Amino acid sequence: MVAEGKNRILEELVSIVGKENATAEKHIRYAYSYDLSFVKPKLPDYVVMATTVEQVQGVMKLANREKIPVVPFTAGSNIGGLCIPERGGILLDLKRMNQIIRIDVESHYAVIEPGVSHAQLAMELYKHNLRWSWPVGPPSASVSSNALCHGIGGLSGRYGLNSEEITSMEVVLPTGELVRVGSCAIQEDSWHSVLPLPQLDGLFKGWLGTSGVVTKMGVRVHPIPPLLKVFTVSTHTLEDMTSYMVNLGNYEICDDLTAVSWWLSQVPIPYPYIPKPDAAPEWYCFGTTFSWTEKEKEAREEIWQNVLEEEQKKGTSIKYADYPEEALKARTQLPSQIVGSTKNYTKMAGGGISWPGTFTPANKWAPVYDKWKEILIDHKLSPSVRATNYRGVHYGMLRAMIPFNKKSPEETENARQAIVECLKVDLDAGGIPYKPPVDFAEEINRRAHPGYLSLLKQVKNMLDPNDIMNSGKFGI
Amino acid sequence: MEVSMEWDISTLEELEDKIWRCTACGNCKTAYKFGPPPEFGEICPAGVEFGFDGMMASKGKIAFARGILDGQLEWTDSFLDAIYKCTVCGGCQNQCELDHKPFIPEIIEAMRRKAVSDGVGPMPAQRKITQSLRDYNNPYQGPRRVRTDWTRPFKKAKKPIKNINKKPAEILYYVGCTGAFNLPARGVPTATASIFQKLGLDFGILGENEICCGSTAMRIGDAEEFKRVAEANLEMFHRLHEEKGVNTIVSSCAGCYRAIKKDYILAADYDKMMEGIRVVHTVDLLNDLFKEGKLKFTGELPLKVTYHDPCHTGRHLNKFEVDEDGTKLWKGAYVGVDEGECLYDVPRDMLKAIPGIELTEMERIRDNSYCCGGGGGVMTGYGDWAAKNASKRIEEGMRTGADKMVSICPFCHYNLNEGAKRISSDMELVDLVELIDQVI
Repeated sequence: MVAEGKNRILEELVSIVGKENATAEKHIRYAYSYDLSFVKPKLPDYVVMATTVEQVQGVMKLANREKIPVVPFTAGSNIGGLCIPERGGILLDLKRMNQIIRIDVESHYAVIEPGVSHAQLAMELYKHNLRWSWPVGPPSASVSSNALCHGIGGLSGRYGLNSEEITSMEVVLPTGELVRVGSCAIQEDSWHSVLPLPQLDGLFKGWLGTSGVVTKMGVRVHPIPPLLKVFTVSTHTLEDMTSYMVNLGNYEICDDLTAVSWWLSQVPIPYPYIPKPDAAPEWYCFGTTFSWTEKEKEAREEIWQNVLEEEQKKGTSIKYADYPEEALKARTQLPSQIVGSTKNYTKMAGGGISWPGTFTPANKWAPVYDKWKEILIDHKLSPSVRATNYRGVHYGMLRAMIPFNKKSPEETENARQAIVECLKVDLDAGGIPYKPPVDFAEEINRRAHPGYLSLLKQVKNMLDPNDIMNSGKFGI
Repeated sequence: MEVSMEWDISTLEELEDKIWRCTACGNCKTAYKFGPPPEFGEICPAGVEFGFDGMMASKGKIAFARGILDGQLEWTDSFLDAIYKCTVCGGCQNQCELDHKPFIPEIIEAMRRKAVSDGVGPMPAQRKITQSLRDYNNPYQGPRRVRTDWTRPFKKAKKPIKNINKKPAEILYYVGCTGAFNLPARGVPTATASIFQKLGLDFGILGENEICCGSTAMRIGDAEEFKRVAEANLEMFHRLHEEKGVNTIVSSCAGCYRAIKKDYILAADYDKMMEGIRVVHTVDLLNDLFKEGKLKFTGELPLKVTYHDPCHTGRHLNKFEVDEDGTKLWKGAYVGVDEGECLYDVPRDMLKAIPGIELTEMERIRDNSYCCGGGGGVMTGYGDWAAKNASKRIEEGMRTGADKMVSICPFCHYNLNEGAKRISSDMELVDLVELIDQVI
């Protein structure tokens, strides 16, 4: 009976997307069962590739009717296990919906489908001297997925998260209904702004694919000023570095202002943990700033020099530091085949990487880092930590990139335990994890205000009455 | 003939540590270059055609390999089909930076070797290849005597090509089965021999005694058949060196060239057998002669052309440095790649040197060249898909405004012309030697 039911569902899926685009073959399902993270592999029951909005609607209507979980998938390159099908069901692969529908070179926005990769968008934007906030990830990763899941990039210091750059969306709800948010909701061909309408985009951003399938997205893009300057300093402590970053962040002149621990500045990250050389500073920071004219560049450099002098007068350990040329490229352009991309972080360990990735205010970075360092070293893992300012000093990110040997279940579990321990420390300090695996979601919910959880459930229930969208990801 | 040499051909199990080095990051799925300007392109023919992640690039193939090794995936017809629907072009390998990078084609072929040793591979259409190899020593089911059909015009013109078994020569022109048996590709050996004669080179061919290099057998996982013919060839090369004075083996076939350069070295006796013999591709030899002033262009070809880099003369000739003992980085670390032997510049230099030729480039070239679709046994196993993929490459060539597409591989020659026919394109693929022959 079960097999008959599966065959019937598969037949219906085939009728929606075509024979070549729907399968229940195990080898195809297996390739979607794991990712870079420590999250335990789980098989979807079906894999479907949609190429049109109508097909996405058809799949969702079927899934909703049959109460089958659906996991939306673009590239699967996140490191939080977000596309691992917790409860099986349909893996909805959107990589073939990969059209760049428009680049508006006057109003500076692009309209893209979910399968558009960073590499694809980078090439097309560059033709118009435009850019996006490129994350440190594979060029094949999806722009819209990164933005939807509150991903960050090289412009986040200036403009905030990539999700803040979303201007409009077309979404298929779990029921199969097609909706729009932002200006495209009022005028079909208008994708320039979410505001001044009610921000219904919040129903889909940060929901980790649990509230709908975004089929089109408008995103702000930005011009590329010709002159780049990267401010680079080092300190011996994160306290000293935080003082500098808050100070410089006040001036809001950096596209990206990021500090990395010595272990993260090594490519790849040392695995297992090794102590840093005594003489080496523990923290390095790069701040990227772009200018249109030499005079503007000089003015920005003057601000930075003043900040550096102020910090030195405070008696901190701050020093000017060199930063390798290739690493600078990785910080200012889309990473590929060079230092700085996720694949290079992990290569010494062997196949696995995950993180406690959090939003944590700058004044909590140092105490949290101290505890993380203890935990990670105790687990023989490098404290390879990054701290970044977003939108000046409005909020901050603190995360540790933790590689591990995925071939070994023991080493994978060791990394998972360390990461969850780190996460608890951060949550207790007021931080919030982003792109969280289910383990994290449970820790968040344990601490959450009951009203928040209740509201979350109500909204989820309204959008997804049968709880089919990426079921189980929120731990609610 | 029994296999008698020791070969270092890995099993899937022996590659397990490498397989676990893949992070599944998906970097391999598309080609990308930093620039500026940034360049992006599809790189995986199977990914383009079939789409599912398992079918795409090394990320997908590594998933299959893991599934086999952890016992989750058992042989089924469709699983086998998926493993063989890969051109083993190395496009994904070119994007990867992890420690398994040097072994990616090896891992794919090791899965196929496992399929063959388990009695389920290769695919039915490909079994004809290995059966033909056993029966005829070539993959085209061609009788021995047909192997020299292409030489008839030379005999007729009273310019017979030396049979190296009978008369000594410094150069062995190893023709390859595709040039000899595949009618549309016969222009390649014909032009090669014509050029050599015009240049007065002391060369000969094996004629009816030539046997397949074994490349196709190796690509589809039949290591035993590969070893049989490879050993016979190695012994023959050694004998020709000792007895006939051969010191250079020239190949116009990217597949043979790759096999002799990269697969034959897996034989423990390779150095002994090949001592005193260098292996070169025809264009390499001609380029040397051009630089020495011995090859001069006397004619003109007013053509706008674009160049297609064959996988086997391009990225397949990468030399990878691996930190075997952990003294440089860590044990098994991928350290770097040397592209010195990849034939990227040589054919382009030759093309640009031909009077009248204007070279215009496609979007995906050199190490990110888009495979014609014929490699890895796909042309035999999945002819329709191979031609369909070739059509995409032809379309890319057409977008350059070129009159012709040029390459240096009879496999690409045949498949890309099939691709052009499929879309009724006027674009024709010609081998570089066919152009050179017209202007010297």
